[in-house]
Amino acid sequence: MIHKIDAKGLACPQPVVLTKNRMKEFSHIEIIVDNETAVENIKRLAESSQWSFEQTVSGADFIINIKSDKPQTAGSEKEAIISCGISGSTIVFSSDKMGKGDDDLGAILMKAFIHTILSLENIPSALVLYNSGVLLAAENSGAADDLQALHEKGVEILICGTCVNFYNISDKIKTGTISNMYDILNRMNSAARLINP
Amino acid sequence: MTTESNPVYYAALFPSVSHVMKAERMLLGEGLAIKIIPVPKSISSDCGVCIRFEEKLLDKIETILKNNFETVEFRKL
Repeated sequence: MIHKIDAKGLACPQPVVLTKNRMKEFSHIEIIVDNETAVENIKRLAESSQWSFEQTVSGADFIINIKSDKPQTAGSEKEAIISCGISGSTIVFSSDKMGKGDDDLGAILMKAFIHTILSLENIPSALVLYNSGVLLAAENSGAADDLQALHEKGVEILICGTCVNFYNISDKIKTGTISNMYDILNRMNSAARLINP
Repeated sequence: MTTESNPVYYAALFPSVSHVMKAERMLLGEGLAIKIIPVPKSISSDCGVCIRFEEKLLDKIETILKNNFETVEFRKL
């Protein structure tokens, strides 16, 4: 029998704590979660308990199936690391300028800001670019090479497609993923921290 | 991606951000590959920006900037 847990909307670490508790009673559990942090936590829990782990995506949600192949021996499992995404910040670029005031100054500051992200100890997990922020991802923006370097380091870069069309720069975007309002809002909603330069 | 593995960079330092902005426009107008970066902490702990470029452009950029700015300093990064 599959035991089902709907853990959508629960704050970290509740989905993984709930899963861990049910693992004492059931040997096949299906958990629905709405963020990658919960997926990663449950994956680590399954691995440390030697349960199999399968994950499928359903819209904005993740359906996880974990199974125990052999009976649990008490105390044999290692303690799983539960992380609520301390390093998972998202930087929101709503403009190609940093701060409000003089535009030329704001443009210079933004280039320096993006270059500095590369030297952070905990690099953000995602960057979101919309409105004139998308101009930063266009070649010759003075920041596109740094964005490319961040992308290569595993930072997710979501670029507003409507905005790219509006500014007519589709052929100049060399990095990141052209995205939409759903994914952009979802990313912002699931971020541990939002930074708005 | 740059084909050179580890290019040597120089920084041009100015007394104010207004000078940096003027120099950036001038050098980009010449089609030179430059980059705005924060002044490295090893050079100054003040909040500042400078212009970074590859060593091969040093002579050209030095000539342009020294002809147009009273105070400009060059540092190897």
